[in-house]
This record gives sequence, structure tokens and C-alpha cells, in this order.
Amino acid sequence: MISFQDVTFTYPGASYPALQSINLEIPAGSFVLVMGLSGSGKSTLLRCMNGLVPHFSGGTLSGTIRVAEMDPVDASPQVMSRKIGFVFQDPEAQFVLDRVEDEVAFALENLALPPAEIRTRLDATLGLLGLTALRERRLDTLSGGERQRVALAAVMALNPSLLILDEPTSQLDPEAAETVLQTLVRLNRDLGLTILLAEHRLERVLPFVDRLIYLDSEPGRMLVGDPRQVLAEVDLVSPVVALGKYLGWQPLPLTVQEALPFAQLAQLPESSDVLISDIQATLPEPVLRIVDLHVFYGPKPILKGVNLSAQGGEVLALMGPNGAGKTTLLRSLIGLMKPEVGEILLLGESIAGKNTADLARLVGYLPQDPNALLFADRVLDELLYTLHSRAHQPHGHRQNSSADTDTSNAEKAAVMLAQMGMADLAEAYPRDLSVGQRQRVALAAIMVAQPRLLLLDEPTRGLDAAAKQRLADLLQTWRDDGHAIILVTHDVELVARLADRVAILEDGVISAQGKPVEVLAASPVFMPQVLQLFPDAGCLTPQQLINRLRST
Amino acid sequence: MSTQLHTWTWLTWLAATLVAISVTRNLFYLTLILLCLLVVYSFIEDANQRGAYPFSLLRFGILVSVLSMLFNMLISHFGETVFLTLPEEWPLIGGPYTLEALVYGLTNGLVLFGILIAFTDFNQAMPVRMLIRLIPRAFFPVAVVISIAVTFVPTTIRQFYQIKEAQMLRGQRMKSLRDWLPLVMPLLVGGLERALQLSEAMTARGFASAAPKGGNTAHRLAMVVSMLWVMAGWVVSTRAGWETLGLGLILAGALALLAALWWAGRQVPRTNYLKEKLRTGDAIVLMGIVVIGLALYFPFEWIDRSSLYYSVYPLLQWPDFDPWIGTALLGLGLPAYVIGLRKR
Repeated sequence: MISFQDVTFTYPGASYPALQSINLEIPAGSFVLVMGLSGSGKSTLLRCMNGLVPHFSGGTLSGTIRVAEMDPVDASPQVMSRKIGFVFQDPEAQFVLDRVEDEVAFALENLALPPAEIRTRLDATLGLLGLTALRERRLDTLSGGERQRVALAAVMALNPSLLILDEPTSQLDPEAAETVLQTLVRLNRDLGLTILLAEHRLERVLPFVDRLIYLDSEPGRMLVGDPRQVLAEVDLVSPVVALGKYLGWQPLPLTVQEALPFAQLAQLPESSDVLISDIQATLPEPVLRIVDLHVFYGPKPILKGVNLSAQGGEVLALMGPNGAGKTTLLRSLIGLMKPEVGEILLLGESIAGKNTADLARLVGYLPQDPNALLFADRVLDELLYTLHSRAHQPHGHRQNSSADTDTSNAEKAAVMLAQMGMADLAEAYPRDLSVGQRQRVALAAIMVAQPRLLLLDEPTRGLDAAAKQRLADLLQTWRDDGHAIILVTHDVELVARLADRVAILEDGVISAQGKPVEVLAASPVFMPQVLQLFPDAGCLTPQQLINRLRST
Repeated sequence: MSTQLHTWTWLTWLAATLVAISVTRNLFYLTLILLCLLVVYSFIEDANQRGAYPFSLLRFGILVSVLSMLFNMLISHFGETVFLTLPEEWPLIGGPYTLEALVYGLTNGLVLFGILIAFTDFNQAMPVRMLIRLIPRAFFPVAVVISIAVTFVPTTIRQFYQIKEAQMLRGQRMKSLRDWLPLVMPLLVGGLERALQLSEAMTARGFASAAPKGGNTAHRLAMVVSMLWVMAGWVVSTRAGWETLGLGLILAGALALLAALWWAGRQVPRTNYLKEKLRTGDAIVLMGIVVIGLALYFPFEWIDRSSLYYSVYPLLQWPDFDPWIGTALLGLGLPAYVIGLRKR
């Protein structure tokens, strides 16, 4: 189905190739996961298969590519689209029309297929993807998972023999991601469709794939083959695989189900509270207290009586399905939404009547899209801009002279960049950076003002494992410095690694809160893999479990 | 749940609404029309499953009406009911302030508000693909560009607010024009990035992959010749005594242009999978529009049309109200009835 022979590709103006000497053979009917760190060339590889690279990107390509018996370099992406479906990360960015049915039929009408055939394909595709009931709905009324399925339907209607997906679940909650992945499994098993999928969250995808492509950050190093063989040779693995490799389980399990028999035989010491921090008992007055908060969007209640608090030196993870009101809660805390009922107390004072700019002195908020923050020509200027804004606030800390202020601000910005490991990027143009780097610049621009409370909305979206690790390390440092951190995320493994407390928000109310091990254990959707394997061990991450084993 | 009436039914409804709004300055009739439009808006939003709350629209309507009232009161000093007089020598704002000017301004504000809701209803009810179909098939790529622009606007507005909020989060107060500059760059770059993503996605989905059946040059030439023909007819018609010949040339040129468009459209390899049908709901709405037309224009003896042409000047009085016209105007709310019927 797919054949790459000695393929090398370099983007225009780049000093080194994005892909180097790639040799690859993928048989028809495979379900393939493409993995690797950001910048390793995953997207470039996928785009080579339908001709977007080099037709759309420009650049220099050498070697031979054959996909579905066509040469994507000779043929155009338009021609390749008849055999290859391509689904992008953000479904919203690929929609042309505004209704489900119209969007799916759009490409078929462009091919000038007879109306009867279009209707037949439309019915079949909508049925296949479980979208029949939604066919007349407007796209802006659908959930993230439904939109991604519509994007999938729009390419499936063309009857492709190969489906390529570039991080299709990165913006979805675990349930929606599971629905999309189950749909892909059905397409692969029932229709024999060849599927190639790039994804960072390996634990979501590994149960379904039969082949793995690992692209190393070092150009030219690539591993292809059976998932077990590939994963045995790389560090970038899911928690189950990490445990399996450490404990020497053979054959290496890829899923919780495969690992359960090993786990049942493993001898673990009794649970103790040593590894799970119990910060609550020793904490002073909370930085934030939310009392009976009700927030409406128009006539619709979003938050229906939320009670919650956050302490200094604590990471509170706020989880829940899409649309539960998590972002609304964060926006209320920074004054972007006004509550109808209830009170928000920051350091014991109500925030009622205070505007966002005032609250920003004490509360830092990183929105889902960090790009919205970045506008300056240099990374350093982004930080200086925040400090400059604060210096001009009526209640802000004022310096004696402009020169002193500039010097002090430059020092603060430099210290923050060094702490973030970005000192060498101070002069870089922020929008030229990778997703993870951009996110760190945005975070630095918020944190340089040293807010007491930090709010993060889905901070790991689109981040690879290394960037996620760096973020977790940073948050741990800030927590140890006494900052209160509220983390809204679907990333169960990040919560397992970082959170001191977890609250579940469902349909506008806090349905559970407490220690991570207790809350996550009670929620099948949010249970980390380690906890699924060892429910009584009191550990949430492979590292915690390994540390415990080492200590005994 | 579909909000769909036939495209031409919605177009006829929109035209009837605009005619009804523009034909009267009677506050009773205008209020009735606005109520109908707001009810239709609520039903459309409900059918679109976005929640029916026309509050933001109402807020905007009140703002427009108040601004129009104040503006008219300041610049128009006609009317007999004076409630305030400023010295005449004060430029622009000096002179008597009248209740009539105030109410006239309010009436104009309501008319503007009515036009806005009518178009909002039409936009919300019509799927973009139906709007594309209204553009001749020969201009299909242009139609797609327009449809993308239509869907791009709300996304850009949403992005604008996201960026504004993001800058406020950094302590920016957005007081002076300079404070708004940090919004421009992310908005511009974000818009370009989205445009690139969309074009990449459309390319990957095979947009414009089917080649036109024939050459483009011939039908483009035919369209240009037809337009020149129409223009020549217009030039000829300006000469004394040649009006008829000019009119004939214009008509012939227009027909040739239509034929050229049809011919060019047939060269565009594209199909429509959905044929619209007129249904009972369409008949109900169209009959309502016919009744409005009759009430406004047919010379029934029992209808007092003078109430339509009410004027607040020179002395403010209560407008007359003809129950036949009032009842007929309620027909503008029939799309809400049809949408509600389908939902049940």
C-alpha cells in the first residue's frame, strides 16, 4: 500500500532535512501508529503520502514514494484525494460549510458524481460513523468528538483505501477520543481500510495498532515494525509499557488487559501514604475559595453551585467531560465571566467588582490557545510587555525611575527565561517556535509577574512527552515555591504525575474531590493505567511504583 | 431539527419583510413586525439547537434605537412639542428639542433594527450551501470563497475576543488605541494560519480536482461580449429617438449574458445532490406573504391604508391602527409556526 525508498525531504530555507533516507513498506489493511517527539517529522511523513509535501509546502524531495499504486509527487494532492483521506488535528480548520450533511457531500459534489450516487454514499458514510441522527445539525452545535467524526466522514465519503490522521484526538476528552478511535478500529477491521495515525498519547492508541513507526529526533533514525519490538527499543512509551519493560514482562504488554495477568503475579509491598502527598492536613488559609458559584451563559446554567478551594503549594487538577463547565469556572476566577450567585474569595477578599486586569496581579491564566498571547517580535519582549503592563497599573508596584524599572524588568525576564530553560531563545520570534516552546513562552509571559494563583487550561494539548515532562517539572517547582495551581486537563497521566488533589466537574457541579488516588480510582474514565493494574498499591505513575519497588 | 423552508420561500419572506418595514413608519405596525421577526429568530435558534435567547439582539436593538433617537433629536429641530431649548448660537446643537424629532428617531432606529433581524433570521435559517446555490454555477469557485468568508467572519470575531481577553490577562487595560495594537498581530497571523490550514484541507479533499469540460476562454469571451452588448444598448438609448433600439439591444444583450452564464455553468463539473421541494410549510408561508401583499397594495375598500403613512410631524399624535393590516402583518411570523410544527 505504501512504499518509501530512500526518501529525503528538506523544507525551503531549512538547513537540515525534515526526513532523511526513509525506507518504509506498509501492507494494505494495516493500522499504523506514527510516533516521535515534536519536530521529528511525523506530519511531514504523513503529508508526503498524499502529496501535500512537496506540492503544498515546497522544498526538495528525493527518493521514490508509491502510495496506493500512485506517485504522490507526480500526481497532485487533489488526485491523491480519490484514494487517500487526510484528517487534520483541528476539525474546525477543515470545514467549508456549516451543516453536517453538506460538509460530507461537499467533496462528492466537487467530483461531479451523480446526485443518486452522492445520496447513497452520504447515507452509507453517515451510518458508518454514527452520524445519521446529526445529519441536519449545524457544525457549531456539535461537540469536539462529533466534529472530528464529521471530518472523518467527509473524507470517508470519497471511499479512500488509505486513511491518514494527524493527531485526531489531541483536542478530545478521553470518552470522545475513545469513540473516535473505536470508529477507526471498525473501519480498519470491517472495511480493511489502511490507517496511519500520528498521536502523542500512546496509551490511547496502542491497544489498536498492529504496526508502529518511530521517528527519532535525530534525522535518519527510524524504527518500523511490530509495536512490541519497536517499543522495546525506545524510551517514548506508555505507562503500561514502561512498567512492563522495568519489570521484564514478556511478551511486552501494550494494553492494561495484556498486562493484568503479569500484574496479578507481581509482589508489591502494602500501600502507605508516603508516596502520595497529603498536603491538605498542613495547609494554611486557602489562596482561593469558591462558595456556591452559579454562572449562566445566556439563559443556560453552566455552573450550578460549585464549592472549591485551592491552597498555596498545591496542584489541584480539575477534570471532567467536555462541556462540563471547567473553562467557565477558570474564566470566572479571572473575572472574564460574572457569577449570578455565589462568591469567589482570593486571599480572603471577594473578587466581585474587580476587573480582569486588576485580578491578573494575583491570578495568572494560561488559555487553551497560547498563540492568543503572543504578538511581540522577541520572546524577551513578551515577558517585558507583561511586566510593563503591571507597572502601569494603579495598584501595581511602582519603581523609582524608568531606568530602574527597565533594568529590574529585564533581570526578572531573564531569570524567568533561564528557569524555563529558554535563555537561548530570548531573541527568537515567538511564532517561529514549536508548539511546546510557544506554550512555554506564553507561560513565562504569565508567570513573570509571579501570580499567587496559576490557572492552566489544557496545557498539554499538542505537547509531546518531552515537552510535557518539562512542563510538569516547572509546575512542580512553582508549587514548591508556594504558588497555588489549578490545572484543567483531560491528560490522566499528567494528573497522576503532578496533582495533589483532584476535583471532577460534571454538568456544572463538583461530583467528586479528594486525593488523586481516591478520586481517580472511583472514575473508570479517568483512571491511570498504573492504578488499573495495581488498584491497591496507592501509586499513580510508573515512576512512583518503581520507586516503591526499589525502596523495598 | 431542520429550519429549512425552500430557498425561494426564505428569499420571498425576506423581500416581503423588507417591503413591509420600509413601507410604514407607524409604530404599532413596526412593533408587530419586530415581534414576528424576534419570534422567528427564537424558533430558528431553537431548531439549530443553539438555545433561543434573542437578548443580545434585543440589546443591540435598544442601542440602535437610543442612538438614532438622540442623533435625530440633536440634528432635527422640527415639531411642535418642544421640551428643551438651547441657545440658537450654539453650533449644531442649538435650537428647540422636540418630542416629534425624538419619536421620529426612535422609528428610524426600529426600522434599522428590523432590517438587521430580518437578515439575521435569513442567515441563520439558510445553510451556506443554499446561499452558494444562489450564485451562478459558472462562478462556483467565487461562491466557495464567499461561503468561506461567511464562515470565517464569526471565527475571526471569536478569535478577536480570545486575543483581547488574553492581553487583559497580562494586565493590559485596553484604554487607548495603543493598547489595542497587540491584538492586531495575533489576529492577522492567526487568520493567515487558519487560511493556510483550510486551503491545505481543501486541497487534500480534492477541491477543484475535476478539470473543466471545455476551455474557459470561449465562455469568458461570450460573457464579456454580452456585457459589452448591454453597455452598447445603454449608450444607444441615451440618444434622442433611439430609445427603443437601445432598449432592444439591452434586452438582447441581457439574454445573451444569461445564455453565456448558463453555458459557462455547464462547463463546471459539479453536481447538487439535494433537490429542494416546495412543501406544505412553504405554501403556508407564501400564502401569508400573499395576504400581506394584498393588505398593503390591493384596493380593498375596508382597509384604511392611510395608517401606514403615519408621520409624527408636525404634532405628535397616536397613530391609527387598521386591524386588517395588523393581522396580515402577523403573517411574517409564519416561518416560526412552520418550524414549530416540524419540530413537533
